[in-house]
Amino acid sequence: MYSLSLNRWGEIGKFLSCFCLCLLLVVSCAHKQQTTSQTTNDGRITIGTTAKPRTLDPADAYELAALSLVFNMSDRLYTYEPGSAEIKPQLATAPAKVSPDGLTYTIPIRKGVVFHDGTPFNASAMEFSIQRFIENKGKPSFLLSDTIDKVKATGEYELTIQLKRPFAAFPSLLAFSGVCAVSPKAYALGAGQFKPSIFVGTGPYKLANYGTDSLRLDVFDQYWGEKPVNKGINIQIQSSPVNLFNAFTTNAVDVAYLSLKPDQIRNLESGAKQGKWQVISAQGSVVSYMGLNRNQKPLDKLEVRQAIASLIDRELINQRVIFGQAASLYSMLPTTFNASEPLFKDKYGDGQYDKAKKLLSAAGFSPSHPAIIPIWHSASSAIYSSVAQTLKSITDKELNGMVQFQINPVESATFFKEIGKGLYPVALFDWYPDFLDPDDYVQPFLACEKGSVSQGCTTGGSQAQGSFYYSEAMNKLIAQERQELKPEARKQIFAQIQALETDDVPYIPLWQSKDYVFAQKGVSHVQIDPTQNLIYKSIKK
Amino acid sequence: MSRSKALQFYIVSRIILAPLQLLTIITIVFLLLRATPGDPADAILGGRAPENAKEELRQQLGLNLPIWLQYINYLGHLVKFDLGTSLTSRGQEVWEIIGQYFPATLELAIFSMAVALIVGITVGTLSASRPGTVFDLGGRLFGIITYALPMFWAGMLLQLIFSVQLGWFPNSNRFPPNLPVPATITGLYTVDSLLSLNFGEFLVSLHYLALPSLTLGILLSGIFERIVRVNLKQTLQADYVEAARARGIPERRILVTHALKNALIPVITVLGLTFASLLGGAILTEVTFSWPGLANRLYQAISDRDYPTVQGVLVFFGAIVVSASILIDILNAYVDPRIRY
Repeated sequence: MYSLSLNRWGEIGKFLSCFCLCLLLVVSCAHKQQTTSQTTNDGRITIGTTAKPRTLDPADAYELAALSLVFNMSDRLYTYEPGSAEIKPQLATAPAKVSPDGLTYTIPIRKGVVFHDGTPFNASAMEFSIQRFIENKGKPSFLLSDTIDKVKATGEYELTIQLKRPFAAFPSLLAFSGVCAVSPKAYALGAGQFKPSIFVGTGPYKLANYGTDSLRLDVFDQYWGEKPVNKGINIQIQSSPVNLFNAFTTNAVDVAYLSLKPDQIRNLESGAKQGKWQVISAQGSVVSYMGLNRNQKPLDKLEVRQAIASLIDRELINQRVIFGQAASLYSMLPTTFNASEPLFKDKYGDGQYDKAKKLLSAAGFSPSHPAIIPIWHSASSAIYSSVAQTLKSITDKELNGMVQFQINPVESATFFKEIGKGLYPVALFDWYPDFLDPDDYVQPFLACEKGSVSQGCTTGGSQAQGSFYYSEAMNKLIAQERQELKPEARKQIFAQIQALETDDVPYIPLWQSKDYVFAQKGVSHVQIDPTQNLIYKSIKK
Repeated sequence: MSRSKALQFYIVSRIILAPLQLLTIITIVFLLLRATPGDPADAILGGRAPENAKEELRQQLGLNLPIWLQYINYLGHLVKFDLGTSLTSRGQEVWEIIGQYFPATLELAIFSMAVALIVGITVGTLSASRPGTVFDLGGRLFGIITYALPMFWAGMLLQLIFSVQLGWFPNSNRFPPNLPVPATITGLYTVDSLLSLNFGEFLVSLHYLALPSLTLGILLSGIFERIVRVNLKQTLQADYVEAARARGIPERRILVTHALKNALIPVITVLGLTFASLLGGAILTEVTFSWPGLANRLYQAISDRDYPTVQGVLVFFGAIVVSASILIDILNAYVDPRIRY
C-alpha cells in the first residue's frame, strides 16, 4: 500500500512538473499574441508614462500628470494654439470684451455643446465650473480666488467675470487646464467636495476606465469640435523611467512621454537616428534658476552675485549634465515669449572667469580670503547635484580659490519648506508655470508685498522664492505690466523688468526645458502644447 | 492543566493581546509620521498656495491641534473603522484605496508563495537527501544566492533577459492597457477570469503575473530551502528514521512519508510570517515591475505626505501581520505536540 502510494506521489509529481512546464510555455507563447494585439492597428493609441495622476478632479488637479489628462478630456473657455503661447477661443466663441477699467470680462459662450453625461452646456454650467474651481478650495484654487471677484451667467450664452483688480494675463488663466467646463449634474459645490476618480467634461474624449495602472479614454461621439483621428487612448502607467524605457523599446506602447532620464533620452535619440522609432522634441516652458539670497553673506554684495552670474557656463553644464537636452537661458523669461531678451548673455556671458575675478576682488575677496558660498538643492534631483558638482569643479579650477562652493543636498520637502525662511544662500530649483504668460515668470519671483531696501522682502514672492529681493522700481513695473492691456506697451515693461533683474541678480537663469516624446514608426501627428500637454486627439496610427 | 485547556487559554490570551500589539503599531506609525519632514498642508495645496489658505486647511484637518489630541482623535476614528480620507486624492476614502490596490498585492503574494514553496521544498529536499553530492552543494549555493540577491537588481536583470531580450513575458504592469480588465468579482484577475470562464483573460493575467511572481518566489525560496535542508538533515539522523531503515523501509518512502512531514513543521511558522510580510507589501517587487499593488500605492502616499493613507495602509498591514502571527501560533500549537505554553 505504501509502495503504491509512493508511486502515485511520484506520478503526481511528474504530472505537476509537466503541467507547470506546459503552463510556462503556453504563458510565454501568449506573449506573441499579446504583443501583436498591442501593436495591431485597432486605431487606439497606447501611451506609456510614469506620470500617475493623483486625481482627475479639475478643481484639485495641479500636477502635469493629472492636468494632461484633464486637458485632453475637457474644453476651456480659451486654449493655446499648438506650438505657441497665443491663446484662442475654445468654449468661448470670441476673445473677451474687457471694460475700460480692466475689471469686467464679458465672454460669449459656444452653443451646441454637451457634457459626456448628456447634460447641455451653457453659461450657467461654465459659471458653476468656475465657482467650483474657486469654492472647493483645491490645490490650484488660489489661481482664480486671488483674481476673480464675481462670476455670473448674464445670459444663456454669455458669461461675465468681475476681477478684484486688473490683470492683463487673465485670459491665460482661463486657459489653465483645470478651469474647464464640468457637468453640474456630476459634481458638487463646496470646500473639499472632490471626485478624484471620475471626469465628466465636454472634451473630445470621455473616461471609459480608471484603473490602478491604466486608463482608457474613448472618443466622445457627441463632441462639438473636430473629432480625434484615433479610436481612443490607452494609458499605461509605469512606476519607473526604466520600465517606461523598456516598455517603449519592446513595442509595448506606441508613445512614451514623461518622464525618461537624460541618459535614456540620449539612448532613444540614438535609436531614432537609426530609424528604429521617432523622436519629437519641442521647446518646453519649465525653467531652471539659481536663487541668490541677498540677506546672506557674501551674497549681500552685488559684485558677488554678478561674479557668480559671470562664471556660470551654461553650455558646458547643458552638455555635461543634461546631454544638451535643454536650451541655455539668459533671461527670467523663457524664449516661449517674444518679450524674452537674453540680457544675461549680453551683460555676463558664459564662463567669464576673469570678469568674475575682478568683481570678486572689488568685493574684497581673494585666494587668501575666499568667498564661501553654500549651494543647496533638493536631494532628489540628480541633475542639480551634478550641476552643483560641475560648478564647484570649474570654480576650483578657474578662480584660484577666490570662491569656494559648498554643496548641500537636502530632503525635498524640507528644501521647499525652508527656502522661504532664508536658510539657503544659493538654491537651485525649477519653475513649472501655472499659466503661460510672462507675468508667471516674474511676479512670483520679484514682487514683494512688504519689505524695505535694508531688510529685503519680508512678505511676498521674492521672500517665498528665497531671494528676499526688494526693489520699489521692480514692484511698480510689475504692477504696471499686470494692468497694461496693450501687448506692445506690456512688452516694453517686461524689457525694463528684465534689465533691472539682470543688474540686481536676485536669480540667475540657467536653462529652459526641452520636452521629448518618443513614438513608434507608423505613429504620426504627435504634438506637445507649450504647457507640456501631449495632444492626444491628433495622434494617428 | 490539560493540554487542550492550556491551548484554549493560550489562544484567548493571544487574541486579547492582539489589540495591544496593534495599538503599539498604530502609535509608532502615528509618531513617526509626525516626525518626518514636510507639511501636509503644503502637500495638499502646494508650495505656491497663500499661507492663509494653508493655515485654514491645517485647522480644518486638525493639524494645528496638540499631537496628543490628534492621536486621541485618530484613535476615535479607528475604533469606528474610519481610516479617513486621502489628502492627495481628495474625496477618496482610505478604505477605497485599500480595496482598489490590495487584490493585486494578494494575487502576487499567493503566486509568489506558491513558487517559493514548490522551489524551496524541492531544492531543500534534494539537497538534504543527498548529502555531500553535487545536489547538496547546489542546494546550499542556491539558498545563499537567492537569499542574498537584492530584489530590485534580480528583478531588473530578469526583466532584461526574459522581457527585453527574449520577449517571453511583459516587462511590467498587471494587464495590457488595450484590453478591458476582467470583470471585478474578487479583484484577483486570475480568479475573476476563471470565474467568468474567460480562459483567454486567465492566460493573459497569468502571463503578466508570471515574471514578478517567479522573481519574488525564487528569491523567497532560498528561505524555505535552507529551513527544509537543515531540518530534513537533522530528521534523517533521528532514531525513528534509523529504526525505519533497520526495518528495511525504502529510503524514498522514509524521506517522503516520515522525515519530510516533520521537517516541514518549522516551515509553517516562516511560511505564515513571510506570507504576511508579502501581503504587507513586496514594495521592491511592485515598484520594479510597476505592479499596481498596495505597497506601490503606499510608496506614492509616503512621497506625497498623504498621512491618512500612509497611516491607514500601515495599520491595515499591521493588522494582517498580527492576525497572521496569531494564526501561525495556533496552527503550530495544534500541529506540533511538543509545544508547551
